[in-house]
Amino acid sequence: MKAVIIVKTLLGMAPNCKKVTSFLAEYVEGTLPEKVAKQFEQHIGMCKCCGPYFDQYRATINLIKEGQEVKIPDELVEHTMTFLRNNANFSR
Amino acid sequence: MIEKAKSPIEESIVEPDLDALLAGDEKAFELLVNQESPRLFRIVFRIVGDEEEAKNILQETFLQAFQRIQTFRRESKFTTWLYAIGINLARGSLRKSKRMTSLDDSDVERLQPSFSKGMFVESPESWDPLRLAEQSDRHELLHRAIDNLPEDYKAIVILRDIEEHSTEEVAKMLDISGGAVRVRLHRARVALRAMLNPHFQYQRQTAE
Repeated sequence: MKAVIIVKTLLGMAPNCKKVTSFLAEYVEGTLPEKVAKQFEQHIGMCKCCGPYFDQYRATINLIKEGQEVKIPDELVEHTMTFLRNNANFSR
Repeated sequence: MIEKAKSPIEESIVEPDLDALLAGDEKAFELLVNQESPRLFRIVFRIVGDEEEAKNILQETFLQAFQRIQTFRRESKFTTWLYAIGINLARGSLRKSKRMTSLDDSDVERLQPSFSKGMFVESPESWDPLRLAEQSDRHELLHRAIDNLPEDYKAIVILRDIEEHSTEEVAKMLDISGGAVRVRLHRARVALRAMLNPHFQYQRQTAE
């Protein structure tokens, strides 16, 4: 199976590394067409470069999503409303 | 495969009473400020990185929304239009402050992988799960890396990956196409991966 995928890739019948890395975002989003997603998974499963690269791409997204919490200042709404009352001409 | 991210914003936003806002009703604005301040503050703060400045930008955002509300053309959600004002002000503030030297487009290009005949030129070294897990300041590391991104890439990472707005919403907020959002988000993630890479690789054992 692995040999078949390698031959197909070399013959341009299956996506190569460059093509596969261009699919990363769509794969993660779940928006790749089913057939392409399958080719993507086959390539990732056997490629020594794309496998770790994909893991790292996904780990990066997870780290971004963990993010840093932002503390909302307690007086935020009042701070903004006081400013608006002084500067906006509310009609009612 | 990771599940397609749902936008919590899309799920939870109650569209404000536009007629009351158009009439300049103070109560309607108070409701709007109450509902949108936390989310908008988080975005603005993440862009400018300074609490006082973020608070000032929030004030100015709601004032501009009040003053320009007649120009709202109902082509997007009202909240998307409001956020666009805040994001523009935040990006303007960041440009003016020149607090940090950020990467430019050519740096982002340099951080993309290289290929020869469609294959990786250099094999990516594996990341050490222990270094990844034990790196106590990894958030700080990532935060600095995001801060270093060119301003438009940074805004897209904050809006899409951290605040989880949809691609379509982000496109409207930044006045660019959905395709541009998708491409820049991918390039930004790849650049961030490259910036994190030296910190998370397996450390080679040096021979005694």
